[in-house]
Amino acid sequence: MEKIHPLKSKPALFIGLLLACLFISNIAFAEIAVIVHPDNSASLDKKAIKKIFMGKKKKYDNGNVILPMNASKGAASRDSFNKLAIGRTTAQVNAYWSKLVFTGKGTMPRELTSDAEIIATVSANKDAISYVDASAVTDAVKVIATY
Amino acid sequence: MKLFKVLTMLIATIILPHSALADVAFSGYGSIVAGKTFGRIDDPLNPGQKRDEILTADFYDVGQYDNDIKFTPESVFALQALVDLGHDLKFTAQLVAKGTDDFEPEFDWYYLTYQVNDSWSVMAGRRNIPMYYYSEFSEVGYAYPWMRPPSNLYWWQITQFNGFHANYDFELGDYSNNLTFFYGNENSYDNKEMLFYDELFGGNARSVDEFWSDILGFNWNITGDNFEVRFVYFQNDRDRTTTAQDGTETDSVPFDQQFLGFGGYVNFNQFSFLFDWNHVEYDDDVGTEYPTYLVSLVYNIGDFQPYITYSKADHERTKTAAATKDLEEHYILGYGVRYNFHPSAAFKIQFDKFEEQGEASTGWAYHGDSRTLTLGIDFIF
Repeated sequence: MEKIHPLKSKPALFIGLLLACLFISNIAFAEIAVIVHPDNSASLDKKAIKKIFMGKKKKYDNGNVILPMNASKGAASRDSFNKLAIGRTTAQVNAYWSKLVFTGKGTMPRELTSDAEIIATVSANKDAISYVDASAVTDAVKVIATY
Repeated sequence: MKLFKVLTMLIATIILPHSALADVAFSGYGSIVAGKTFGRIDDPLNPGQKRDEILTADFYDVGQYDNDIKFTPESVFALQALVDLGHDLKFTAQLVAKGTDDFEPEFDWYYLTYQVNDSWSVMAGRRNIPMYYYSEFSEVGYAYPWMRPPSNLYWWQITQFNGFHANYDFELGDYSNNLTFFYGNENSYDNKEMLFYDELFGGNARSVDEFWSDILGFNWNITGDNFEVRFVYFQNDRDRTTTAQDGTETDSVPFDQQFLGFGGYVNFNQFSFLFDWNHVEYDDDVGTEYPTYLVSLVYNIGDFQPYITYSKADHERTKTAAATKDLEEHYILGYGVRYNFHPSAAFKIQFDKFEEQGEASTGWAYHGDSRTLTLGIDFIF
């Protein structure tokens, strides 16, 4: 036990330093608009939107399969959406999905590369749902919620 | 059960050449972890001798840290192929390469999923047994805050099985529910963990075969906005055959095993509280029981997740003349930080204090105390 003691403080110090770095992060979130096809008349509240992007709601009331789409990994809109609509950080949401994906219990929403591509895809697909920075919204899509 | 493997692989080989027509998605996960223990202890199984402190980080694969820095005990890479065959039928396979097996890839998972309707789906094939809360994804380091689910609970020589699952999803009030019924078998020939114990306790076996048959049980998951709880119950038959160097086979007395568990998490503000309580019981002559639990608190702040976790495992005999609680017993107190430095990768650093609490004279206090530092990166793609 005597031998262990002096070494024990090393990892503790390491972790202590890391903890000290914790209070630096402070991120501002942009306004996010959740969008669907203009003809999509499904009534989805914020609770339903959260369920869709957590893989817990898979079909519209009319029976059609919902096609949720994410912004690309690392996109600011994805971080904002996760934080504001799901209430978790992107890392936490990814961790949640990795559990489902690698146990065969879910398929992560498809990823699109830009707001423009998201709008183009959603405007071309009646069952798609996605989100963009609120400033990027055009008439080609319908906004059903903002955060 | 070789037949089962052959059949599943056969289905896969029929399917895969046509995958140009089907939709194939590749994904994967991995962990690169390095660690070491600090200091030396009196060897609990060889009184008077000293040895390095040892932390068994992975019981099933016998992944152990000692005083030398090691990368092999926990490092793992896995590639998953998901073949969408259309008409609600999918085939999933995972090729897994572990440091404990010299990174030789093996198909650890392969199963078919059929979505019967909105509520029901069935799976057939090879998967992890849904035992503890983290059992099914215990190797997906990215999926949880710690370096690993506390290894002194995940100590079983069997973690996978061939079988069938029927999943039923339903809503109850505001809560999403999933009920999964499962049935299967696992014949683990030349079981790595059991052979390791045989040697550890002075044996000289050529191989130990472990059989868990008629694994039958269910999981019930209830998910709300800020919590998830999961009940598990299953039972199975246990058999073991030890083969000596001269080929002589000795069968252990078979018995039934029952596994009961209640685990999950609760998020409140920036904190996550994670827990798992389990009770394993044998119907053997001595009334073996294993009560175990873990509790953990994680603080979520920006890209950092500092955490602390405590896991306790116990081994008792309730039917012997002198019923005893003083057999295998230990806890691990771990603390560390997960740093989400990248959208698909996390850095972790963890310190574990393993405290042996078993009674040395019984021979069950064989782990010995240890202090271990591990650093690692988990990623998904």
